[in-house]
Amino acid sequence: MKHILRVAVLGIALASIAATGAFAQDVPRIIAELDRLGDFSGSDFAAIYTIVSQKPGEKDSVSQVRMFRRDDKKQFTLLVILPEVNKGQGYLREDDNVWFYDPTSRKFSFSSIKENIQNSEAKNSDLVRKSILEDYQVVGSKEGMLGKIAVWIIDLKARTNDVSYERVVMHVRKDKTMLLKEEDFSVSGRLMRTTLFPKYVEISGRLMPSQILIIDELNPGERSQMTMTEQSLAGLPDKVFTKAFLEQVNK
Amino acid sequence: MKTLANIALRNLSRQKRRSILLGSAIAFGVMIVTLINGFAGAFSENVSENFSNLMAGHIFLSGSEKEAGGKELSVIRDDSALTAAVKASGAPVKYITRRSAFTGTLIFEGKKIRTNVDGADLEQETFLRERLLLKKGSWDAMTEAGALILSEKIAAKLNVEVGDRILVQMQTVTGQNNVGEFTLAGISYDAGIFGQMMSYANLAYVNELLGLKPGEYQTMGLMLDGLKHTEKSASDIYAGLSESVQLFTRGEKDENGAQTPFQALLKQQKKESWEGVRYRLFTINEVLSQVQQIVAALDTTAAVILVVLFVIIMVGITNTFRMVMFERIGEIGTMRALGVQRGGVRSMFLLEAVFLALGGAVVGILLALVAMSIISLINFGMNSPAFILMKNGHLSFYLPPLKAIGNILVIAALTLVAVASPAGKAAKLTPAEALRTSK
Repeated sequence: MKHILRVAVLGIALASIAATGAFAQDVPRIIAELDRLGDFSGSDFAAIYTIVSQKPGEKDSVSQVRMFRRDDKKQFTLLVILPEVNKGQGYLREDDNVWFYDPTSRKFSFSSIKENIQNSEAKNSDLVRKSILEDYQVVGSKEGMLGKIAVWIIDLKARTNDVSYERVVMHVRKDKTMLLKEEDFSVSGRLMRTTLFPKYVEISGRLMPSQILIIDELNPGERSQMTMTEQSLAGLPDKVFTKAFLEQVNK
Repeated sequence: MKTLANIALRNLSRQKRRSILLGSAIAFGVMIVTLINGFAGAFSENVSENFSNLMAGHIFLSGSEKEAGGKELSVIRDDSALTAAVKASGAPVKYITRRSAFTGTLIFEGKKIRTNVDGADLEQETFLRERLLLKKGSWDAMTEAGALILSEKIAAKLNVEVGDRILVQMQTVTGQNNVGEFTLAGISYDAGIFGQMMSYANLAYVNELLGLKPGEYQTMGLMLDGLKHTEKSASDIYAGLSESVQLFTRGEKDENGAQTPFQALLKQQKKESWEGVRYRLFTINEVLSQVQQIVAALDTTAAVILVVLFVIIMVGITNTFRMVMFERIGEIGTMRALGVQRGGVRSMFLLEAVFLALGGAVVGILLALVAMSIISLINFGMNSPAFILMKNGHLSFYLPPLKAIGNILVIAALTLVAVASPAGKAAKLTPAEALRTSK
């Protein structure tokens, strides 16, 4: 009997080690799949993002931006629709350069992909293609539960200093590759924001988060909810990714 | 001519009350204008010196390091070439400061404020203790690594007290998000709009937050033995540095005044490309070149006030001298009958006006000097919101002698213009006509 028990324990231990090893081997594949889902190379992408920001003691603010992406050329144009006072403002990215356009002064100024959108917790970088595999290396991975959903918990450390956050912890659904939760940490190791992805939509066979909830962990009570609508993979004219376009839409 | 001058002086003393009233009007105008000129004269120097103290230097050196990926980092890793050039220049350096700084958001219990935090080596920068007066807390608490000093206004906005722990959200030199934790060690007296420039922490901790190594920093400040040495010393150091390190061309002022030399220097950095580290040298005068525009605006204001006041005073003088002409019409007739020519009569009136103007102007300047002396005795304290305009807590004045002489000449000229018409009329009178006219 003792022998059987020993064999059973050994068997379970070996199976766990094998499963863990298999999972560890799978992590790059999971991340590559996440990269693929967010990569629209080969086609253009457009959508409207509505961002509702909550701050304690303040009225909820609503921002709306129309996003145009061309991942092949690392281009995006982001046009502010709401609030009315900022209507016509825009961001234009070409390679690593980001310009901000102010229709009041009719001038472009240098900006950054790390800049927040309007007064929300969302950043420009949240709306564009990211390559997790290029930017981060896996430093840890384990299984866990997010509510009632089984997830892979993947701990990532920045490979370069070009990314906003030094460390990112991702909770990826086990049964199908869907990022459900992301925790972003500062260089000093402090949790700065938590992002939840409760709703997804399928666009041309790929899953994209249609609702994102960003929680500011440094300022309790501050959060932004981002909803994606009117998504499209139709081709966009080249002029959309030019400064002239931002100037023109304001005429 | 001497006789005419004597008659003019006698005429002024004959109507003492009238002369004193007219002279007082001129003196008042001159006093106001002189006070504005005096304030503008000291304004530039006071602001520059106070900013030098705030920024800890008259001359600044900072480095821009180009990373392999093209990213620029603001850092000085090895300053041996810089210190050697400073030493070789023979500049009268009182002390050298080494600082790193960031702009970040301070967060405390739901309240937050964006501010600049300067990291200073407080063991080296002992002068900071003498200059920055603390309302609460103590400098001794700054020995703690994460200690922070805030100005009164910022502390009030955050609702923090000494000992409270404050979070700071900022970015490293490479642009990554970082969070630090400070403990409030002291609250300094408020410095008005410059309060946001007066948050100090330890250099080592600021470096850690910025992602810099110990011993590295961002800006070297050279405090000289007075503002007057700035430009020559900067040129000498720049010349010495150009032989040993890569340098940005020193900023030049835009012709239309749209940008300061410092802004021009930063713009140049965006346009050019380089490898390794390139240093920039700039002076407090370049950073504050817009102060010169304020001085010019003050001087223009003073000139406008001078003209407006004197247009009003000129109307009074013209009317008064018209009356004088009618009062003395018999006297003019007698003088003309005794052989005094038309030019003599005109000169007599004009001399009278010039004496009045000169007397009024000199008294006005003297009154202004007395007022300046009294005002400059008042101690507003180093904690005054307007301390940046003052010299050690006192309002100070400097009246450039040429400006004072210029004002006197302008007033004399305007007075002559005002009296030209009555003097001309007096000169045109024939002796018979003048003697016939009854007052």
